[in-house]
Amino acid sequence: MIRRAKPVTPDAKAANRPLDSWRRGLLSRRRFLIAAAGGSIALLFAKQGVAKADPDDPVDPWPILEATLEHMLPSEPESPGAAEIHALDYLRFVVADPRIDAEERTFILQGSRWLDELAHERTGKPFIELGFDDKETLLRQITRSAAGENWASTVLSYLLEALLTAPAYGGNTDGIGWRWLEYVPGFPLPGPGTRYAELPL
Amino acid sequence: MSRDFDVCIIGSGAGGGPIAYTLAKAGFSVLVLEKGPWLKEQHFTKDELACCRRNVYTPRLDDEQHVIEEEDKAEEWQATATGQSGWNFWNGNCVGGSSNFMSGYFHRLKPVDFKLKSTFGGIEGANVVDWPIDYADLEPYYDRVERLVGVSGEAKAHANSEPRSSSDFPYPPTVEHPISRRIDAAAESLGYHALRVPRAILSQPAMNRRSCEYSGFCGSFGCSSGAKGSSRAALLDHAVATGRCEIRPHAKVFRISTDSKGQISSIDYFAQDKGVQRVDARVCVVACQAIETSRLLLASVGPRFPDGLANNHAQVGRNLLFSAGGAGSGDMDFADRDEAGVAELRRVGPFVNRALDDWYTLSDPELGRVKGGIIEFLWDHPNAVVRAENAKWRDGELVWGKPLKRRLETWFRTDRTLNFEVFNDWLPNDNCFVALDRQVRDRWDSPVAKVRVGAHPQDQRIGRLLADKGERLLKKLGARRVSSSVGPAPPPNLQAGGCRFGDQAEHSVLDADCRTHEVENLFVSDGSFMPTGGSVPYTFTIYANSFRVADRIVAQLGGRRADSA
Repeated sequence: MIRRAKPVTPDAKAANRPLDSWRRGLLSRRRFLIAAAGGSIALLFAKQGVAKADPDDPVDPWPILEATLEHMLPSEPESPGAAEIHALDYLRFVVADPRIDAEERTFILQGSRWLDELAHERTGKPFIELGFDDKETLLRQITRSAAGENWASTVLSYLLEALLTAPAYGGNTDGIGWRWLEYVPGFPLPGPGTRYAELPL
Repeated sequence: MSRDFDVCIIGSGAGGGPIAYTLAKAGFSVLVLEKGPWLKEQHFTKDELACCRRNVYTPRLDDEQHVIEEEDKAEEWQATATGQSGWNFWNGNCVGGSSNFMSGYFHRLKPVDFKLKSTFGGIEGANVVDWPIDYADLEPYYDRVERLVGVSGEAKAHANSEPRSSSDFPYPPTVEHPISRRIDAAAESLGYHALRVPRAILSQPAMNRRSCEYSGFCGSFGCSSGAKGSSRAALLDHAVATGRCEIRPHAKVFRISTDSKGQISSIDYFAQDKGVQRVDARVCVVACQAIETSRLLLASVGPRFPDGLANNHAQVGRNLLFSAGGAGSGDMDFADRDEAGVAELRRVGPFVNRALDDWYTLSDPELGRVKGGIIEFLWDHPNAVVRAENAKWRDGELVWGKPLKRRLETWFRTDRTLNFEVFNDWLPNDNCFVALDRQVRDRWDSPVAKVRVGAHPQDQRIGRLLADKGERLLKKLGARRVSSSVGPAPPPNLQAGGCRFGDQAEHSVLDADCRTHEVENLFVSDGSFMPTGGSVPYTFTIYANSFRVADRIVAQLGGRRADSA
């Protein structure tokens, strides 16, 4: 890459549209993130009649995120899944990283709670207790709204980072993701002292 | 009058480095003010997160951004702050600037680039002019860059080769990938002439720098061996070693102050944890990269410069340039090759180093004889996450689970993608300029640059002509799924213009020596000076011109000092 290209919108449906809708696409994503961080489930699913979460009893988002990650990148005998690449540890690093927009970090956590609420509403069970097919149905359902699709896309992006970035950041354990995809990383790689948070920026 | 330094340079990239190097070596005291940190070889790793996903070498867009004006379908200019769009126009804010992260494709301009107006005539809607200097004026400085920055290559006759004063490059070509020979053969069979591309990458240790270590990760990464000819590794480290050059990182200049006579009275900057600082110098050199250079001049109002420094003829910021063209790709499928062929394709590290330079000028059925450009070949960028991210979308739907895993296996394990990039002139025009935004401010409360990025329609036409040639070559190589795209969007890392040089103050900001027409001791030494951009990446020409400007500054300060080494 010599020429740096214009970024494609996170909403791939808009990726090949002309200039002005590309612009709107990005703007609307930003607005969705901000609005979503405010806590409206109606935005996520564009649905009516979903019960509000009890603010005094917040659901722990991490088991829901773990189940989502494992659903999105399942373990198989010949290839690693979310568990083997330590995707959950990686996501914890992401959510604690001040380099990432605070709105996006809130959105990741908040979205998992909404997913769980929807699971309760549709099946009477928490998301983590659902079988494969129910999880798949529910996740597909949320991607029909722009905010839900953004959430799934965001989680998927960080999952792919966990698979393919330097092991020093907590994912891609011992380079297992690289080995699976026969990918040759560069050198030197970041390690203790040269991870980006440790650079004298 | 006593001055803190002989020369103060604002910005430490390819425009600033040659000034610091030359002036310090000539015995003058030099201060370099750099907005970003001072990272060194040991800090640079092949870290996709750092370079390309968290963008740690550029400011956070919440802190510092641009406002970009694009034309929408209704032909109205729509302004969007990059903090909203995520379209990052920063290119490397650290000592050495974006030259730390370049790929180092070092093509010279050609004699015709200095005379586009007189060669091809005017173009409606474009502000094409001849340069006030000739190729012969710049040639000795290209030669100097090849030696001091370190350019590896091989000079071989080509129909479009530019004249050289030295017979060959000072360093042999970098190690090349087996695909390079195949490109040569494919080009020959099509009647094209592949050119071996000179690189600002040392193929041998020299000048206290190590040779390239061929990690396969070059562009967008800082160099950990020192082989890449960044302004930092190649020039500033040597300037500092003279004992006469001081670099102050984390120093963000927000204004060049002038007195009632229009003379520079101080250079004012925010220093990390120290608040506002001021220095003065006999000569001030601005080299912040094109957009930010225009912004700083526009923001530096004074009693004699109500509309910005050196802007009494309303020229600052106008005729900003990017690079027109586009990109294409084709997949080299492993299934089409035997085991040895696959092993060859999978080799990581050596460079492709090939370009097509057969159409630097060309004949178009409608436009007649016009300026063309070059086509550069290179492997798909090695970053892994970005490739995987593309795999997560299929026909506008997210893919996950086992289908995603199978897709990743196919995308990573069954082919290698060869790309090409087209470079042709971004015609200067009235809809491509820098101004100050009226609303958005940076974290120091200064107005940010508003950049209108209008392109002339001819740019895309030429880009398409060239991209079709690139596609033909990829198909000849046996690539599958060959495609290309040419569009009006500017590549933010290829910027120049905004303070064009010329002989008349009414139509240019700088004189032929890159001194401002309006302030005798104010120079601009980055790519801002270029009235037309040529059809190659800018860094080599910025370096060469900055060395030329450095010689003029030495002369203005009375010549080399006797006590200099």
